[in-house]
Amino acid sequence: MTGGAVAGDITPVVVRLKLSLLRNGLRQSGGRRAAYIASAVGVLLFSVLQMLGFVALRGNEHAASVVVPLIAVLAVGWAVMPLFFAGGDETLDPTRLVMLPLRPRPLVRALLVSSLIGIGPVFTLCMLVGSVISVAHGGAAYVVAVVGVALALLVCVALARTVAVANLRLLTSRKGRDLAVLSGLVIAIGAQVVNFGAQRLGSGGLGQLDGAAGVLAWVPPASALGAVDSASEGSYGVAVAQLALSALALAGLLALWSRHLTRLMTSPDGSTLPSAEGAAREQSSTGLARLLPAGRTGTVMERSLRYVWRDPKTKAAWVTSLAIGLIVPVFNALQGTGVIYFACFAAGMLGVQMYNQFGQDTSAFWMVAMTISSTRDAYVELRARALALLLITLPYATLVTVLTTALIGDWPKLPEVLGMSFALLGAMLATGAWTSARFPYSIPQEGYKNVAPGQSGLALAAVVGGMVSAALLCAPVIALTIWANVSADGDEWSWLLLPLGAVYGTAITLAGLRLAAPRTARQLPEILLAVSKG
Amino acid sequence: MTSAVSVRGLWKRFGQQVAVAGIDLELPAGKFIGLVGPNGAGKTTTLSMVTGLLRPDQGSVQVVGHDVWRDPVEVKARIGVLPEGLRLFERLSGRELLAYSGRLRGLPGAEVDKRAGQLLDVLDLAGAQHKLVVDYSTGMRKKIGLAAALLHNPEVLFLDEPFEGVDPVSAQIIRGVLERYTASGATVVFSSHVMELVESLCDWVAVMAAGRIRAHGTLDEVRGSAPSLQQAFLELVGAHGRDTGSDLDWLGGKR
Repeated sequence: MTGGAVAGDITPVVVRLKLSLLRNGLRQSGGRRAAYIASAVGVLLFSVLQMLGFVALRGNEHAASVVVPLIAVLAVGWAVMPLFFAGGDETLDPTRLVMLPLRPRPLVRALLVSSLIGIGPVFTLCMLVGSVISVAHGGAAYVVAVVGVALALLVCVALARTVAVANLRLLTSRKGRDLAVLSGLVIAIGAQVVNFGAQRLGSGGLGQLDGAAGVLAWVPPASALGAVDSASEGSYGVAVAQLALSALALAGLLALWSRHLTRLMTSPDGSTLPSAEGAAREQSSTGLARLLPAGRTGTVMERSLRYVWRDPKTKAAWVTSLAIGLIVPVFNALQGTGVIYFACFAAGMLGVQMYNQFGQDTSAFWMVAMTISSTRDAYVELRARALALLLITLPYATLVTVLTTALIGDWPKLPEVLGMSFALLGAMLATGAWTSARFPYSIPQEGYKNVAPGQSGLALAAVVGGMVSAALLCAPVIALTIWANVSADGDEWSWLLLPLGAVYGTAITLAGLRLAAPRTARQLPEILLAVSKG
Repeated sequence: MTSAVSVRGLWKRFGQQVAVAGIDLELPAGKFIGLVGPNGAGKTTTLSMVTGLLRPDQGSVQVVGHDVWRDPVEVKARIGVLPEGLRLFERLSGRELLAYSGRLRGLPGAEVDKRAGQLLDVLDLAGAQHKLVVDYSTGMRKKIGLAAALLHNPEVLFLDEPFEGVDPVSAQIIRGVLERYTASGATVVFSSHVMELVESLCDWVAVMAAGRIRAHGTLDEVRGSAPSLQQAFLELVGAHGRDTGSDLDWLGGKR
């Protein structure tokens, strides 16, 4: 070598690097090895099952309508995955190779080949092979299938790599780590939606997919599978066009990837650049501040609301509550299995956010503690946090209740369900405030855990105990609602349950805050100690 | 001489470990006071108890004549704190953090914004005032923490390791602000294990080791006949003359 680029092909080197990284990753700890083997076995079993499923699908007139959208979903998965699991694969980070004299073209080839190694690509390959088994009929289709599978796999892998490289600066920054905290959530909510979609399909038949499949058959990499189907039906011209579309997409992705790689490897690392950009964007003082009351109340509300949006842990908790609070009642209503009282789920789920208020502050709670010198201060602090929560919760719970009622079509029941929602919300706020003062615990800021080691018993006791107490506190309203439903003239006065529930909810919230305040004011050092373990 | 802080019989145990073993201390008002000691001497524990962030097992603390635990209303309004190892509300921008902190302390909004603007200018944070604190460097964090501690113009300021991990430029800025502040008659109590810094800044020193106060008084009193505070300190904590030579006689020898 004479100071130029590395001679010869670097592909085997990078492939060996990938294999070593995999092997060393497994050597680090028994737990990690067990987790890897377990997930490998799981994926293998799943692959076999889905393959059997695809074989069973063979000959079904809607086979292509299932296969094509499925591959499209798979490709979306490949595109999204690097955003959430950037840390998972070190070869995904080309800046580690920046000191080596490599040209982009051989590097892209080497990285592409090396990314075909791993559980993900094997799973995708199984899925693709299964898909073509279910739709390929005839010699020409088999030929198209071989090309199509290879193309689709390469497009998936190249897509993931391009997304990763294009967002590398984001992914290695603080914002990227913030994003990772939300990943579990996206998967959980995605699973709910898929589950619901599958149930709809189960009841409505596969024919519903034909329209979507028709469009997706022209979108790479699903178009590679569309080509197999077209070839099976004898439309060879269409098949070639669809294959070409996938090939074109692959070429485009590779060109884009190569361009980003070159730029990345010839410009300074994101971590050494001061992140001056975006500073102006995070301007303070939204219009909201002016609408909030003055003094501690408004100040605390503003800070709480900012944290809902800016703090990844708080945001993840809120999005979970908002999503589940909506999904459970509305999806159940859509499926016709819903009970109107499920609408209270929204109030219950959002009320959970009142729990462990000070743990959400982390050890920054000292800044609050330094300004609380009387029971009154503690009361105003807790009340402001409850008000911030209500600002989101009250309209949302009302909306979910109205939506659920509309879907079920039982309008006369609306007042009592709303009343019950408000009462439950009040009970959750009351018990949340009290447990915040009585059982504070730390929320670690790194990783996925929501309880610091050694405090999970405490956290469980606080949340479960609090929810049971909240249910018990609602008993009077629940009893009245039952009475309204069983008594002969119940329908005439059941609307009264709306104001009654609202008043009752407000009253127990205030009572809960009154009970929690003296303890908060008295136990400031103990609370600080409990929330500083993360 | 009036006392800014008066500590009597202060104890704190964490399980088997005695962190602070009976401290009595009178810190004079209007002075720049250094609390020095090696790592693990109990400086942070002491400052936490003095400022009301940690409950002592025994003993009492008075700040400007008011008991920290019995009269928090009077004490909390009069002190400013910059703790070590505790977070700030890092998802706020520097300016938002000051606005939040000042308003929580009950200052009028317009006054908070005026003071915050001046503090940000003096501490050279104006350019980063809209950046989230989570993206700040160590020096910037210490500076914004100091600004938050000064915002309500306290009588006594407690700073735990304010210069730890701070670059020389930021350190000089912090120094300038603190010197101006004590010149007005306020009291600064800060902990450090950098003797040169304490020697150049403080006029009153308390030396801590293994949970006890080993010496206290004006800089000259504590230094005594020793050539520097460093020497005096090493003698006080019993680390002076500890010979490291004989065991490593091969080091730097014939290769």
